[in-house]
Amino acid sequence: MRFTQEVTYMLLVRAIIRPEKVSIVLSELLSAGFPAVTKMDVFGRGRQKGLKIGDVFYDEIPKEMLLCVVRDEDKDDVVNVIMRNARTGEKGNFGDGRIFISPVEDAYTISNGKQGL
Amino acid sequence: MKEVMAFIRQNKINRTKEALAEAGFPSFTCRKCLGRGKKSVDYSLVKSLIEDGEMPLTQSAEALTESSRLIPKRFFTLVVDDTEVQKVVKTIIDVNSTGNPGDGKIFVIPILESYRVRDGERDVDSIN
Repeated sequence: MRFTQEVTYMLLVRAIIRPEKVSIVLSELLSAGFPAVTKMDVFGRGRQKGLKIGDVFYDEIPKEMLLCVVRDEDKDDVVNVIMRNARTGEKGNFGDGRIFISPVEDAYTISNGKQGL
Repeated sequence: MKEVMAFIRQNKINRTKEALAEAGFPSFTCRKCLGRGKKSVDYSLVKSLIEDGEMPLTQSAEALTESSRLIPKRFFTLVVDDTEVQKVVKTIIDVNSTGNPGDGKIFVIPILESYRVRDGERDVDSIN
């Protein structure tokens, strides 16, 4: 199998969001033209060091992680769609989540071995 | 160093593990995930299978019927040296390729630093 080098810049968007916001974000991503996405259950805490309810301290709060790899020029669209739909209330609240972006050097489709998205 | 991140079919994990171990890459991380790709999936077949009772209503079947319509996959990831990336990618593609859509994707992501927790070895020493 031969691999040809293709110069496109791809980015991995990792969004950690509230579990109850997953379905709206997924359907909005689909209608915005980004169908490909992966979802994972994760547990974590943020800058607020977790949640304190009464005397009980929760520092492993359940969240969902969405992974999607997009072209450089589509990054802002995807981030905006996630940001708009994963937010709670007008201004947003602590615990709405975070989005991280990292570079992807290569992508392959397994079924045909093709390089690129 | 590069992270090779592959989304593959659930039933291919064992063969992928064996092939990578044979090729000299025994270490990896794997977890369950749900996802969708570019192509839409025809769920009427799965639905009829569930209704006829041919497919048990397990967690994966539930995931198919829920509104977000995600397909269960395995998320397989390992960190290797720059020179080994092509070998790992080729091994994964050879094992997982059935020629049908839904075989999955592989992404290669740069890793800047790595450490071994046990003795604090860093970078390439920590993954070899």
